[in-house]
Amino acid sequence: MELHNVLDFPILSLSIFLPLAGALVIWLFVKGDDAVRWASLAVSVAAFIVTLPLALMFDKTTAHMQFEEFAPWISTFNINYQLGVDGISMPFIILTSFLTVVCIVSAWRCIQNRVKEYMIAFLVLETTLIGVFSSLDAVLFYFFWEALLIPMYLIIGIWGGKNRVYATLKFFLYTLAGSVLMLIALLAMYFEAGKTFSMLAFMDYPFNLEWQIWIFIAFFIAFAVKVPMWPVHTWLPDAHTEAPTAGSVILAGILLKMGAYGFLRFSLPMVPDASQYFVPFMVALSLVAIVYISFVAMMQTDMKRLIAYSSIAHMGFVTLGTFMFTQAAVEGAVIGMISHGFVAAALFLCVGVMYDRLHTREIGDYGGVVNVMPVFAAVMLFFCMANIALPGASAFVGEIMVLIGTFEANPVYMDVSTKWVAIAATSSVVLSACYTLWMYKRVVMGDLVKDSVKSMKDMTAREFGFFVPLMLLTLWMGFYPLPFLDILHVSVEHLIAQATTSKLDAAAVLVQAMPVLDAVHH
Amino acid sequence: MANVTFPFPFPDHLITLLPEMIVAIMAMALLLIDVFITKGSKVTAYLAILTTIVAGFATYALQGPEPLVAFYGFFVFDAFAVFSKILIFAATGMAMILSLEYMKDEKHIGEYYVLMLFAMLGMMLMVSSNNFITMYLGLELMALSVYVLVAYQRDVLRSNEAALKYFILGALSSGMLLYGITFLYGVSGSFEFAVMGEKLAHAEGNAATAVMLGLVFLIAGLGFKVSMAPFHMWTPDAYEGAPTPITAFMSVAPKVAGFVIFMRIIVDLLPSLQHEYQTILTGIAVLTIAIGNLAAIAQRNIKRMLAYSTVGHVGFIMMGLLAGTPEGFSGILVYLSIYLVMTMGVFAVIILMRREGIQGELLDDFAGLSKVRPGYALAMGLFMFSMAGIPFLGGFWAKYVVFMAAVEAGHLYLVLYALLFSAVGAFYYLRVVKYIYFDEERVAFNFIESKPMQATVFVTAVTIVFLGLFPEALFEVCRQALGGLV
Repeated sequence: MELHNVLDFPILSLSIFLPLAGALVIWLFVKGDDAVRWASLAVSVAAFIVTLPLALMFDKTTAHMQFEEFAPWISTFNINYQLGVDGISMPFIILTSFLTVVCIVSAWRCIQNRVKEYMIAFLVLETTLIGVFSSLDAVLFYFFWEALLIPMYLIIGIWGGKNRVYATLKFFLYTLAGSVLMLIALLAMYFEAGKTFSMLAFMDYPFNLEWQIWIFIAFFIAFAVKVPMWPVHTWLPDAHTEAPTAGSVILAGILLKMGAYGFLRFSLPMVPDASQYFVPFMVALSLVAIVYISFVAMMQTDMKRLIAYSSIAHMGFVTLGTFMFTQAAVEGAVIGMISHGFVAAALFLCVGVMYDRLHTREIGDYGGVVNVMPVFAAVMLFFCMANIALPGASAFVGEIMVLIGTFEANPVYMDVSTKWVAIAATSSVVLSACYTLWMYKRVVMGDLVKDSVKSMKDMTAREFGFFVPLMLLTLWMGFYPLPFLDILHVSVEHLIAQATTSKLDAAAVLVQAMPVLDAVHH
Repeated sequence: MANVTFPFPFPDHLITLLPEMIVAIMAMALLLIDVFITKGSKVTAYLAILTTIVAGFATYALQGPEPLVAFYGFFVFDAFAVFSKILIFAATGMAMILSLEYMKDEKHIGEYYVLMLFAMLGMMLMVSSNNFITMYLGLELMALSVYVLVAYQRDVLRSNEAALKYFILGALSSGMLLYGITFLYGVSGSFEFAVMGEKLAHAEGNAATAVMLGLVFLIAGLGFKVSMAPFHMWTPDAYEGAPTPITAFMSVAPKVAGFVIFMRIIVDLLPSLQHEYQTILTGIAVLTIAIGNLAAIAQRNIKRMLAYSTVGHVGFIMMGLLAGTPEGFSGILVYLSIYLVMTMGVFAVIILMRREGIQGELLDDFAGLSKVRPGYALAMGLFMFSMAGIPFLGGFWAKYVVFMAAVEAGHLYLVLYALLFSAVGAFYYLRVVKYIYFDEERVAFNFIESKPMQATVFVTAVTIVFLGLFPEALFEVCRQALGGLV
């Protein structure tokens, strides 16, 4: 296996293990809460800088995996330490390392107890997340995918709200139960595809339709829980509500993307025929998420729950775009994910800012915040507008591309024209405006009535500081998305080619060749 | 030499019994030493630990490229036996280390360690047996010693009750085992596994029925010893009532011996009866996995919880038996090795923890451990996640290898079932982590400060992480250990 690494340097390994090494050093040598905070910030910034070359030196002209690394790991099962990124996975790595910095800064003062453990948990989480997005070996992928449950479990469980134990257990068991099915699919594929766990080999191997359908179902359950899609979404509002602010940020910003990333990386290219076959099903679930969950969001009285439901609705757009198999829709889905990483993260941070002051997330406990916190009100308005996909914001680019892609899509197994699907999905633009703006009105606008609100102080420079990069990114992606799309183009094109090329002919050839092969064998 | 004729058949490779002889002689000598010289001091314990280590070295040193046989095939000494014996030594040695502090207030301390040595001797015989007679002798030596050990705290009512239950059910299971063996002997006319295997393959008519009956009783008898459902009833009571180091000992060593015997029997005796034993074992595995993982959820006492967790693990290990392939068998060895490390670590933490003089028993007792002793908390957390099979810890690979082997052997649905139950099982392991990390401390902790035990916690925790990241070496060792068998 040759190295396609322009730097001739294991930059992906460094990105993965630098946070872990930093966490180890902090655990062993750093004493005192403030020292721990600064050390963690230093580690996370260093980790962010280390991932930047992935973007800067990225070759946009090829769909090949880049920055590849390969080392034998467990030769008994042909499991290898194989890493590599393409245009679809690379942005998520940068997003992860970026949001980790934001998380650490945002937790600066709100986390007062067990600071060291908190920071270590976040750095370990960063390691597992980058590992997920850069693995090219299915078992390595699963390894990171499962391992991240441990830090996330601790983050919600130790620093979360009142019902944290229930929420964290639900989160853990839902996702674990989902992923064991993925494991069984991977084991089955290993034997079918000739004892390899290479994800690239899985993409090339012609599974027959029966295999594809079972594999798709197993993957679907694992990924749908993570996305989360209706009706397995119920863990998310609980987890979000109870998680500390930074936990919600990383949950909305990255963890939810893992499910959709799984569909793009596993389902579409590995089992394309089954993916096509299940389009109506996926579309139906996505529309339920978009429309029904939006109504559910409107009914919420807890701000975090509202944003959590809004996330599920937005992820409905992502799954819709993913299963349209058009360039615009799939790129829109990826842009939508990244954009949601900025916007939802920022909205959770906004709630966090208010929560630090009043220790409540109930919409009814606020009102007229604009009178005492004008800067904050402006920031929150900005991100509320971004959340309803106002043109100029990143979310708009993602949603419009998904809608355009849906209009022009023509999936083989769809009976209804996707035009109607697109029209139904467009309703979300209205619905998301309803719940987002209504929340904004009730929380920020109006007269100052409550005494508790009167005592609220506006944002500090530190708090404002972590919103600035998120705003800039949202605007950049909204006004000038070309650099982002450039990275995606070739990889998405390749993905769509994989997803629309049937494997069945090759599978049939393989089945016919079986007796011949057997005869040769003996 | 050739001209000398012995009046009795002289063992051809007596030297292969050297480890057994060391243990037997030392065990008997320790009885006297304790009475006349050391008089109940800890010296006996250290001598017992030393015996285990010496026996381990002897076993390792005797290992040759070829399997050795003594007493005309009654006793085999192959790579497989060596590996399983080393596991048994490790389990016994660690359990003895855990006993150092735990048993210091007991009288008759000498017998305690002597009994552990005898139990170990029994297991050594078991794993080296190639024959139902040797196996049964080893098994009974083990079982009788363990009955006494469970009842060791004879002033504690719970301990007595546990031992009584264990003894009665154990005697019953021995009866079933013997009954099964007699059927098989009746058909084949031999006690030796391999010879029986050949004869049984040709059984027809009534003989075939007898073979089937024998098989059922055999599996029931052995299943009892390794806590397969529905023969697991004694497990929670015996685990709860026994002194905690003995619980640790019981949850590992007899399981190793039991599964080794299962594997030997399957390889030698049952190639012809594959369909029958697979049918029986599948049913038992389904039951074992469900009962172990579901019943553990209801437990409030950590020793009872771990008892059911053992039952659950036994169910998972059975996936390797069902596969019946070299991969499955080496998977069992991998599983047992990793399980040994996790279990010893968990029990070391439990014994080290005391609250107001009462040692950690209930799950609630762990509340707030992470604030008082972050090191123990981290170790316990790692063991729990490992037992639940979460990656980067050894427990993940333990499950992985046996499930992989079972998938390869075509038991896809069974593995799916087992995996779903492993997700169910994660619930009760996570609950321990919940108490440790999420709950506030209620009553003051009062830890034992014992260097050897703390070292045990540290070593097992590091090992479990290391095995999680680099399991290849262990896979390789287990594969080679199987060389003598398959």
